[in-house]
Amino acid sequence: MTLPATPALPCTAGIGLRAVHYHELLQQLPAIGWLEVHSENFFGGGAALNTLRRVREHYPISLHGVGLGLASPPPLDQRHLAALKKLCDEIEPAAVSEHLCWNSADGRVINDLLPFPYTQAALTHVAERVEQVQALLGRQLLIENLSSYLSFNQSEMGEAEFLATLSRRTGCGILFDVNNLFVNQCNLGVDALAFIKTLPADAVAEYHLAGATKHNGCWVDTHSTAVSNEVWALYEIALQQMGPRPTLIEWDNDIPELALLLNEATKAQQQMGRFNETLV
Amino acid sequence: MKRWSEELECFAQAIISGQGVPDNLASHYGHYDLTTAMAIYRNNYRGNLHDALAGAYPVVLQLVGDEFFRLMTYHFINQTPSHSGNLHHYGAAMAAFIADFAPAAGLPYLADVATLEWGCHSAYFAEESPAFDLEKLAQVAAEKHADLRLVVNPAATLLHSKYPVADLWRAHQPNSNHDFQIDISSGGCIALVVRVQSVVDVCELSAAQSDWLLQLSDGTPLGSASEATLARYPQFDLTATLLELVAKNVLTTFTLGA
Repeated sequence: MTLPATPALPCTAGIGLRAVHYHELLQQLPAIGWLEVHSENFFGGGAALNTLRRVREHYPISLHGVGLGLASPPPLDQRHLAALKKLCDEIEPAAVSEHLCWNSADGRVINDLLPFPYTQAALTHVAERVEQVQALLGRQLLIENLSSYLSFNQSEMGEAEFLATLSRRTGCGILFDVNNLFVNQCNLGVDALAFIKTLPADAVAEYHLAGATKHNGCWVDTHSTAVSNEVWALYEIALQQMGPRPTLIEWDNDIPELALLLNEATKAQQQMGRFNETLV
Repeated sequence: MKRWSEELECFAQAIISGQGVPDNLASHYGHYDLTTAMAIYRNNYRGNLHDALAGAYPVVLQLVGDEFFRLMTYHFINQTPSHSGNLHHYGAAMAAFIADFAPAAGLPYLADVATLEWGCHSAYFAEESPAFDLEKLAQVAAEKHADLRLVVNPAATLLHSKYPVADLWRAHQPNSNHDFQIDISSGGCIALVVRVQSVVDVCELSAAQSDWLLQLSDGTPLGSASEATLARYPQFDLTATLLELVAKNVLTTFTLGA
């Protein structure tokens, strides 16, 4: 399917914008390339949307969804889609992304990002959903790889192959979350290098960097700490293999001061910058 | 072999019920076992719902403290599945739950505080409403005034409480004077949740104002609503109430005709 050109994120570092930083950010207007917000926090109208409108006057915005549940068996929630469409029309984001996950079955919703078996049947199902969303929004969707704590016996392929095929079939982009790959490498024994090599570089449109924590031997994607050295090292490999892309510092729990977030973004910018220069 | 959707339903059931381990999952991992992995998903499930409730009910949380709030949400989550991928939709039934929650029986005002807070939460995320056009109203011929229907903002919540819950709510707001010397037996209130220029607030109405507003909400034309209220409350100031509710975006527009 052919999708119209949409404004792209600048190939720089950005940060996740959360409510605790709204005021400070608008007061200081720090030099940062772009900002990413969780779409659902701006559904409807009112104070939150007003804030986002003001932020949008100064920065490109990426809308990152956490609640669509693209791979869920039941039909997509039309109310959710309509709210996302309305938000996109108003904010004119530079990117719109969601996760390769499901969140509802049998009439009940689990408000989390859940893994599923990577089968051909799942691929057909998810591809239909991605096309449905892209048709409604009239733009490309970026799909993010998932952090996972378990794996399904029935999987017929790896997540990277699933994403690569999904992108080829639907024209969707890939949001490569480097921390999620690190988590899956530690938890599930995913071969990180093979994963990166399997992703189609042309389709990768954004990187995420975040911190994880370990519970009872299992790495959990808590987004509650600084980016670890291991994740910076994997990011380096991604930069080597695929080149620089807009890169987000994601921090959702135990959120630090804005200055610390910006500092993490500067680190990403510097690491990316070395590859920008080599490309010239 | 199970259908794909059935595989996911088994997984969902194991997370929600907190029991069992689906047989379609790999059982061995490098540094932990499947039970640990399932526990993480169960904790995420309950934790996300708890956090959503804590976000929607900050005053209830302050009134009962973190430990009791966790006890309430534990039982609430057990009996109230989520039905929306948008976590901000979760928790509408909290007031009804609290009213029946025996351990909270000693706080008879708590359910009304929850009703007020859900009103505030819903108003915060409500779609934007038009501002009432008073000039357009002034152009309506006087003989047609009685037939006007004033449209009430669906985001406004009206609450009749036997307790001073509006005072309670105000005392627990971040920028309040924190005057907690509230006599809970000092009498009830009629609280109205409003959103004015995107700021959510709780104000109070007189019995007459509430009487009039409720009729308007039911679609009663202006003439008969006002007559009925004035018959019950001869002191009712129609013009002042109309202007106040317009200023607070409680009345958003009007229609004329059937």
